[in-house]
Amino acid sequence: MWGFLTAVAAGAATGILSGFGVGGGTLLLIYITSLTDLSQRMAQGINLLYFLPTAATALPTHIKNGYVEKSTAIAAILAGLAGTAIAAFIATGLDVSILHRCFGAFLIFVGINELFRKTPPEETKAKR
Amino acid sequence: MKKQTKWCIFSGLIAGLANGFFGGGGGMLLVPLLTGRCKLDQRTAFATSVAIILPLCALSSVIYFFRDGLDLLRALPYLIGGLIGGFIGGKVFQKMNMVWLRRAFALLILYGGVKALFF
Repeated sequence: MWGFLTAVAAGAATGILSGFGVGGGTLLLIYITSLTDLSQRMAQGINLLYFLPTAATALPTHIKNGYVEKSTAIAAILAGLAGTAIAAFIATGLDVSILHRCFGAFLIFVGINELFRKTPPEETKAKR
Repeated sequence: MKKQTKWCIFSGLIAGLANGFFGGGGGMLLVPLLTGRCKLDQRTAFATSVAIILPLCALSSVIYFFRDGLDLLRALPYLIGGLIGGFIGGKVFQKMNMVWLRRAFALLILYGGVKALFF
């Protein structure tokens, strides 16, 4: 029961970030792989599932507020579906320890990128 | 094809590859590409990346489920939490200052990376 509740709490905390559109899933992956007994691949599968309700609850508000750029989204989704299908097939066939190492390298790349990236000037009212 | 459209396609492809391979993290790559290359402003880029990643996650979770046997029962608490957090995130999104938040969590991610790679 305690494990269940901490998992709900972890999902909720990272879900706020996921609702913003960035980083929640990555943090949840770190949480699951370092603090539970689940394997890297199971963590990844859970993380994918987890994003579905999380994004589904955040997205209507984003669309209503006019923050979703539809033509960009459609082009990116079509290309992304092809990419994700190929990569998911590879990942589900790979040795879990290799997957875990790759994940580590990916995190370091993303972390450095995030730390030093310049923030573009924010438009105060982005409604369109 | 317009140059910007090409960048949108490229960004989607990169996000898709990360999404399928790492089971997440697509947004971390997508948002910088959307602001830098596709010329979206910061907030639009964040929200648009949610819209892009949702269908990608749907597809790859199906692939993970059939190829690896996802344990749905162990996934359940995270889904419940995500539902709550996502709702809150969507609501407070407009009021949020993201700079300090990003710095803090860049460090967290680096920590996770070092841990996964070397320990």
